[in-house]
Amino acid sequence: MKLRRPARPAERETVVALIDVTFFLLIFFMLVGRLDATAPFMVKPPLGTTGKDLPAGGITLSVSPTGALALDGTDIGHDALARLLTARLAKNPATLIRINADQATELRLILSLITEFEDLGAKDVALIVTPDALR
Amino acid sequence: MAGFALKRPAHKRSLISVVSMIDVMMILLFFFMVTSTYLNLDMVPALQKADDGPATATTPGTTLMIRIAADGTAMVGGQSLGPEALTTLLQARLQTDPLTPIVLFPSGAAHLQDLIRTMDVVTRSGAVRVKVIRIEAAK
Repeated sequence: MKLRRPARPAERETVVALIDVTFFLLIFFMLVGRLDATAPFMVKPPLGTTGKDLPAGGITLSVSPTGALALDGTDIGHDALARLLTARLAKNPATLIRINADQATELRLILSLITEFEDLGAKDVALIVTPDALR
Repeated sequence: MAGFALKRPAHKRSLISVVSMIDVMMILLFFFMVTSTYLNLDMVPALQKADDGPATATTPGTTLMIRIAADGTAMVGGQSLGPEALTTLLQARLQTDPLTPIVLFPSGAAHLQDLIRTMDVVTRSGAVRVKVIRIEAAK
């Protein structure tokens, strides 16, 4: 008589590995991501080779090629910006102002803004650039 | 006839189900994957003021002024210079005096990219005292 061993039932797939991978991915994206307000218009920062690391914090002013302004992702007029910055700088004069201007923005718009910020009492203003890896 | 009643032990269920945790984790993961945009950004200081830093005096005779024309060309003494020629000039001046003040005077019609490009050349040449000036309309 030929005895046959009954087929072993296939083991159910464990979900532990899936949980591990998902958890690692989740933590990765949470750590590397930085929530930042984007501008309501298209901004392509200039390419630069000698820029420094961009510190976190501060406020970001976006400037479009036509001179439109957005503070921390929200459209803002020139007068409202001056009022808001005056209040912010009165609280903390060391507030970093990051100017995220398009590379095609005319300098008369940018330089007048920087002068105005200086007059308002700003001590730290930086221009955002994109690192140029090709040079 | 008396008999045995064999009872199969009840299947033990785990105390806490992990299914809901997996659901939440997957939702969070998709959220971060979809909403994240990778931005690699640097910054160039445009204004830095120390509270009690001494004012740096400039010697008029040694200052090198670079004009940035409306088309983005760098000009020194009325002469247009390409990036290589400008680097050579700057390195020669900085070899004589490493603290030579460099003043950038851009046209208002020049673009931001033109200023950053010139600043890159100046910084790579080794200049440490760089200023940007502009003409302000009389009030």
